[in-house]
Amino acid sequence: MIQKKVCMLGAFAVGKTSLVARFVRSLFSEKYHTTVGVKVDKKIVAVGEEQVNLLLWDLYGEDDFQKLRTSYLRGSSGYVLAVDGTRAETLEKAVILQSRAREMLGDVPFVLMLNKADLVDRWEVEDSAIDDLVGQGWSTFKTSAKTGAGVEEAFLALARRMAGST
Amino acid sequence: MDAFLRRGNGGDEPPTVTEDPDPIEELRRLLLVAEHAQVAKIQERLDDPEIHAEDVSRVLPEAIAIRATKDRELTRVMLPTVEEAILSSVRRDPHVLVDALFPVMGPAIRKAIASALASMIESLNETLERSFSVQGLKWRWEAWRTGKPLPEIILLRTLVYRVEQVFLIHRKTGLLLQHVSATSAGVQDADMVSGMLTAIRDFVQDSFGGGREQSLDSFKVGDFTVRIEQGPEAVLAAVIRGNAPPELRPLLTETIEAIHLEQAEALANFQGDADAFNRSRPRLEVCLKTQQLTRADRGPEARTRKARRFLRTALAVLLIGVAVWSFFAIRRSVRWQGYLGRLAAEPGIAVIDSGRRGGKYFVTGLRDPLAADPTAMLAESKIAPESVIGEWKPYQALHPEFIAARARRVLEPPATVTLRATNGVLLATGSAPHRWIEEARARSRVFADVARFDDSGLTDADLSELEALRRGIEDRPVSFDPASADLRPRDSVRLEALSRDLSRLARMAVGIGKTVRVTVTGRGDSTGTEDVNRAISRQRAERVTRALAPGFARAVTFVVRGVGSSEPLRREVTEKDRELNRSVTLSVAVAGGAPEGSR
Repeated sequence: MIQKKVCMLGAFAVGKTSLVARFVRSLFSEKYHTTVGVKVDKKIVAVGEEQVNLLLWDLYGEDDFQKLRTSYLRGSSGYVLAVDGTRAETLEKAVILQSRAREMLGDVPFVLMLNKADLVDRWEVEDSAIDDLVGQGWSTFKTSAKTGAGVEEAFLALARRMAGST
Repeated sequence: MDAFLRRGNGGDEPPTVTEDPDPIEELRRLLLVAEHAQVAKIQERLDDPEIHAEDVSRVLPEAIAIRATKDRELTRVMLPTVEEAILSSVRRDPHVLVDALFPVMGPAIRKAIASALASMIESLNETLERSFSVQGLKWRWEAWRTGKPLPEIILLRTLVYRVEQVFLIHRKTGLLLQHVSATSAGVQDADMVSGMLTAIRDFVQDSFGGGREQSLDSFKVGDFTVRIEQGPEAVLAAVIRGNAPPELRPLLTETIEAIHLEQAEALANFQGDADAFNRSRPRLEVCLKTQQLTRADRGPEARTRKARRFLRTALAVLLIGVAVWSFFAIRRSVRWQGYLGRLAAEPGIAVIDSGRRGGKYFVTGLRDPLAADPTAMLAESKIAPESVIGEWKPYQALHPEFIAARARRVLEPPATVTLRATNGVLLATGSAPHRWIEEARARSRVFADVARFDDSGLTDADLSELEALRRGIEDRPVSFDPASADLRPRDSVRLEALSRDLSRLARMAVGIGKTVRVTVTGRGDSTGTEDVNRAISRQRAERVTRALAPGFARAVTFVVRGVGSSEPLRREVTEKDRELNRSVTLSVAVAGGAPEGSR
């Protein structure tokens, strides 16, 4: 079985932890999250014939990227950029995070999750901005950790791309 | 060409132009002039060591490389030379080699020393930590009991541990390469644990660590110690329950080194597929060590268990012993207190001090010789006399019963007398012989504790008897026939009895120092003349006196009177009255030192 390390990146309170929780069961307590700044979860997904074991490193969301421990990114085969669709500034943060992650990891697969898709009436992120990113080759997904919509799909897409890249 | 060259090369003649022209030789020279120059050139090359060396140097690295892949002959051949070279280099100038090796040796030595120090400090800490704990006391007790030195005991006891899980973790990604566990129970999702361990390590290194060499080596979680041994590509994490001994670290180090050596390629090319590392499982399993010392060496443990059982039994016996002892001690104490209470209540005994000394009870005090015997009282309290030392000093108790008792001892009263003491007065009641009463009065005056002897309640037995006898004698008139002074024969018995009583009275009176006077009064009845009556009455009195007197020559004084009819015993109405008046009566007087009130 192939194992892959995946990092969850995103601004504060975009719902990274909720996305992971929606996707997997949680083993470690929240204490790790606040003290060590990371919580590791895992989820086995099937990519074609192959089982891929995703080790999801849910990094503690900080507003200032400088505070993020980049050492946690080391060795990631892919990452998830999480954005709060109801807060447009979190998308900007995601773009910054992406460039930092690329500096560290190189061109590894990643997906952008536009979370809180259930809150349609408070949605702020412009479709044009998303189209822009898609135009740059980003794969984006509208997700809702609350309803579960798009979550599995987004992770699967990432897993597929990582498996293909080996 | 080869053959030719060989010939030219190895021929007797040198390949030079000679003066002696041989046609064939000449032809050959002409034909082969160009080749000849070449051969000469080659020859020159072969002969010139400088050029030769140049040539060899061109192919040497390749040659060595080729040979090294074929066999180890080159190494073998070169070894002595290399060794010799190093040796001579050191001999000539050691600094050269030192300088060369310094960058390598420095860190290596530092690391070795640091590792050794860490091991030592670890065990030292362990020792110190345990020294003053309950465990430490237990070890000290064990050391004392077995006679082994304390460090040995501590070493023995701290070595109990078990390596429960070993993780082989890819250093860069934190992904799990291999995992072995001693128990199936309690194993969490190993790949997540692996990730978290890496995260924690990263966290610690980021937060506290400086360089790459400084990293999290171990941490403790409850009973567990996690030992981390890192290599360049992979990290070994051992989860140890109990006290991990320092010797474990070298094993982990060797293991991670061996894995790096054996699986260098797999580690370098790791892309998430951990199957390749199944090969390392046996190596990891070697690390799943359980404390073997006590297991393999059953002897001491069994002995310890036996000793423990013995201790437990001894403790039980001790407890029972203590319980029994306590019971007896308490009972003894209760009895002793009871005894002291009895002593205190006992008149004539005054306890001054009591207690326990040298396993025996002691009691000191004062005791009236007439008081109860304290030793005899021990038996009443069920105390063995030999377990008690009693010291009694004699004294006189002023309790009334003791005053009475002392008086009794001195006065020796007859059984009919009761002696009591109240408020300093010695009271005698009952009856006693006259003489005893007299003596008691005299003697009691010398009693220090008696103010007065009161015998008003005491009857003088002698006087009582005298009185009774007297009355009996006086109540028995001896009658006569009319006008006769002769004793009637039928009165002889009566007279005898009278005589006997009188004699007894006299004896008693003399016995208590008294004299007896008997007045014998004769009477007549009122018939006839008074003169005659008077004479006859006197005759009658004399007659009775004669009959009684012989036995009482000295003791009794007889006074004889004849009163005629002047003192009749009864007024004469009938003949019976007259007969009574014709009689003699005795009147007895006891005198001389007679007590007051005696009649």
